[in-house]
Amino acid sequence: ATMPVPVGVLRLPRGPDGCSRGFSPTSPRFQALLGGDAVAAQGARAALRQRYLRGLAAARGRPTRFCLRAGVQVDAVFGAADVEAVAFQVDALRTPLGVQAAALLRCADVLAYSFLL
Amino acid sequence: MNDWQRKSPLDWETYVNKMVKVAAIEKHEYEGWVLTVDPISASVVLATFLENEKVSISVVLGHAIQDVEVLKEGDDEMKQRLSCIFAPEESKAYSPEEEEKRKNALKTWLETNHIPVTEQGESGRTLCVAGVLTIDPPYGPEECSSSNEIILSRVQGLIQGYLEKQQ
Repeated sequence: ATMPVPVGVLRLPRGPDGCSRGFSPTSPRFQALLGGDAVAAQGARAALRQRYLRGLAAARGRPTRFCLRAGVQVDAVFGAADVEAVAFQVDALRTPLGVQAAALLRCADVLAYSFLL
Repeated sequence: MNDWQRKSPLDWETYVNKMVKVAAIEKHEYEGWVLTVDPISASVVLATFLENEKVSISVVLGHAIQDVEVLKEGDDEMKQRLSCIFAPEESKAYSPEEEEKRKNALKTWLETNHIPVTEQGESGRTLCVAGVLTIDPPYGPEECSSSNEIILSRVQGLIQGYLEKQQ
């Protein structure tokens, strides 16, 4: 059999931003896209998120009332939340069919939840 | 995605420490002091102070929020009170000298075990391990922070063992 001919590698010229590996977050183009307050916005995001995560930590192990759609309310013990805000994990979920030792509640189904500190 | 979820973090930040009324879908309404707005889900975290010294925390999920109306601004005293609600617990208070001693002892021990560690933050009170994990005073396993779970649990175990040997 004949040897396969290697495919030539096409090297593209460097982009205008100098860093040809992709979009540079510090490039003038990206700053213009984000808006002048990119750094401040990121600082705000970090501070808000940190407080939110501490709030989740405070909720762990506490009896929580979940307000679901169509006026449904359920009580459970708060377990954990995931990074992408897809679901909540709870313990001792009280349902009309009995108490579920562990369960997942979809974030899309939950309108609000509350607990006491 | 609704209008509330489309706001910028700087916008959401303006609601913190204010008393608001959140109108949610299905005609639900929630009132309380805004502790924070989660930038990922745009969920609003509200605090309500009850008569018996207890605080009720309500989280309204971003996807359910129709409108947020500011009712009043919090004064400095309220801001202080709100910032304490989720503040990390102050465990045994160490004096600045004791804290410094603990920090140096731990730093030396880590270096002896060939673990790269630097000091950072204002006044250098925070230790930074291998650039990916930080340790705040008083330098116990609970004060370790990292986005890498494996490194976090390893270092917590090391510190736990180190502290037990100290006893």
